[in-house]
Amino acid sequence: MNFKYSEQQDMLRTMAREFLAGECPKSRTRELEQDARGYDPGTWKRMAELGWQGLLLPTEYDGTGADFMDLVVLMEEMGRNILPGPFYSTVALAALSIMDYGSREQQARYLPGISGGETVWTLAVDEDPADCDYSQIRASARLQDGAYLLNGEKTLVPCAGVSDFMLVAARISKNTVLEKGLTLFIVDMKKPGIEVETIPTITGETLYQVRFNNVKLDSVDVLGAAGTAENMLGRILDKAALLKCAEVCGACLAVLEMSIAYAGERKQFGKPIGTFQVIQHRLVDMLIQVEGLQHLVYQAGWMMSTGADCSAQIAMAKVKANEVYQQTALDGIRVHGAIGFSLDHDAGLYYRRVLASKFFPHDAGYYLEKVAAGIGL
Amino acid sequence: MDFGLGQREEALRLEVREFAEREIPETFIANFLDEESRDEDWAFSLSISRKLAERGWLAMGWPERYGGRNASHLEQMVFAMEAAYRGIPGLSMGVSGTGWVGTSLMMYGNEEQCRKYLPLISSGSPDGVWCTGYSEPNSGSDFASIRTSAVRQGDEYIVNGQKVWTSCAHRARWCWLAVKTTLNGGKPQDGISLLIVDMKSRGISVNPLLNYSGEHIFNEVFFDNVHVPMVNLVGEENRGWYQLMKSLAYERHSFCGQSYGAARRILDGLAGFAAATRRNGRLIAADPVVRHRLANLAVELETLKMFAYEIACKLSEGALPTYEASRNKSVADHLLEELALAGTDILGSCSQVERHSKLSRMNGLIQRQYLMSPGTAIAAGTDEIEKNIIGKFKLGLPKSY
Repeated sequence: MNFKYSEQQDMLRTMAREFLAGECPKSRTRELEQDARGYDPGTWKRMAELGWQGLLLPTEYDGTGADFMDLVVLMEEMGRNILPGPFYSTVALAALSIMDYGSREQQARYLPGISGGETVWTLAVDEDPADCDYSQIRASARLQDGAYLLNGEKTLVPCAGVSDFMLVAARISKNTVLEKGLTLFIVDMKKPGIEVETIPTITGETLYQVRFNNVKLDSVDVLGAAGTAENMLGRILDKAALLKCAEVCGACLAVLEMSIAYAGERKQFGKPIGTFQVIQHRLVDMLIQVEGLQHLVYQAGWMMSTGADCSAQIAMAKVKANEVYQQTALDGIRVHGAIGFSLDHDAGLYYRRVLASKFFPHDAGYYLEKVAAGIGL
Repeated sequence: MDFGLGQREEALRLEVREFAEREIPETFIANFLDEESRDEDWAFSLSISRKLAERGWLAMGWPERYGGRNASHLEQMVFAMEAAYRGIPGLSMGVSGTGWVGTSLMMYGNEEQCRKYLPLISSGSPDGVWCTGYSEPNSGSDFASIRTSAVRQGDEYIVNGQKVWTSCAHRARWCWLAVKTTLNGGKPQDGISLLIVDMKSRGISVNPLLNYSGEHIFNEVFFDNVHVPMVNLVGEENRGWYQLMKSLAYERHSFCGQSYGAARRILDGLAGFAAATRRNGRLIAADPVVRHRLANLAVELETLKMFAYEIACKLSEGALPTYEASRNKSVADHLLEELALAGTDILGSCSQVERHSKLSRMNGLIQRQYLMSPGTAIAAGTDEIEKNIIGKFKLGLPKSY
């Protein structure tokens, strides 16, 4: 057993922290909240030059073939810094899915573009935002004259407005009993019949509603085997949940560190407020929670990289991440006082973003049920 | 990073399980902090200590020459977790013996002391049972303010004073005693020393202090001109505080694996009870409130497991976990409290009956934990003190008191 970062992970963390601090200071994060694209294409390109988008992808597709745990470490740094943009949707939601389930042709066709930072991707599953039940998916892709016709509407899709491609879950047969017929399609967003509507949020990250009207798809656009999306989605969204937890972990560490620093600087009653036990114990509670989250994330990440079944560990990490991020962000503002509530302070950036991670891919109730089943309930 | 257990640890876990199935009756409910209360529990616990000793498990991390088997820190942790999960009593030789007395003697005692005392502990002998004399009536969290004094006279110390909340003093052969050897001048921390005191010495009297459920766990111990040979000084005179800070880290850490095992036993028990019991026309396990409450506790249990393993790894790298031990104690205490409370809600009104009553469920495990939790969360440092330590050593915050 060993709790240490590998040499490569240490290098990656240092590099990522320096790069992100220079490339995307919080002032830039605030600007990008007002930007229609929500990200900086220049930064996106430079990340590709560092090999980030292709970190896990095989070298034959211009990736670096790194370990899953390396991506966990990188995503933690992105969460720490709040990097706005489509990295998560492109890599965690799409690239890994194509790597795991795509045909060789699909991999050869799409993965080099992702490694090179040329394409932006996302995934669209949900229709009723509150429903984790795939049997409720109504988007259809009926086979007609050798082509699939995609119809339906997806909601709260991240990064849809800037995506070149989208993985879309739709039903190929009329059978709506359970998940039969559910299929994942690779959809080129330039195709006619796609309408993207912006859904403004309070988190700082824009979401989208996407409508498909008789969008023509080919059988080569099917990811994996037709009708098997239920299984694939289970695993795709497990990885996605874990990487979301890694991001959240970084964000919590950032809030904790800024709160500790502030408690040392801010003076009231003639002393730094960090002298007061009530503040100290709040900070300690934050620390204990965040360290616990980090351990759960790393454990699941390590298991994932060994190929072990870690669905239960991911569920636990996600329950913890939801709880800890909410509490840490709240406590962070509490330690800062009024300044933490103001537009110019970073604490609020994190607090607002809690809601962007809380329900993605699913809410805590979904994961709690998984944990409950795991202990025999 | 690598969070997997090796074959050695997995094999050990299986051995412990088999040992428990063979030696521990299903109805026996151990709690490692109150086995000294009833005579029959104590006799049984000590008989198990001897069987553990035969397998080299009682002090498994110690060198072979002291009766251990050089087990790694990870093996020790896995053992503590599994032993507590399986309800094995007799693990600690009066709480302190295997927990920190041995480790501390090896850290700053001398070779003669190690040779004399360690084999008594590791063999499970009644003469290897220890108590620890730290708290006094006016010195609880403010430990440096202790007043029990040891004054040199020839080649002896003359000890006078009173200790309180001394667990197991009525069973112990030895006391691991903190005294003031310098009363004047300097910081209060600088005048403390550690002595090994024979509990059969003249001038020692032990009075039971019953806890709120009438159990005899701790005691008041009075020292009236007790003669202690100078060779019983552990480490350096007046350096006791600094030695103790290390011992306390071990003390808190030594609870962690056992707390994890105990917590897992309760969680599994509650899940099993909920899955097998109907209430209000449905299985308790079908109640989403119960499901989510236990699932949340399972997440905290998993967190505690990782925290426990982290310390084992730190120790095996030669580092002394300071804030981590306090963190783990705080997390473990909180989890055990929450489990006890969840247990009372899930068992419902049957959680209030005496544990041997015919209406008692889960062998009285919940009642036992309900009664023990508040005390466990105070022993070896209150939650508030643990958080002060974490604030100071990990976060670098200034002292607040």
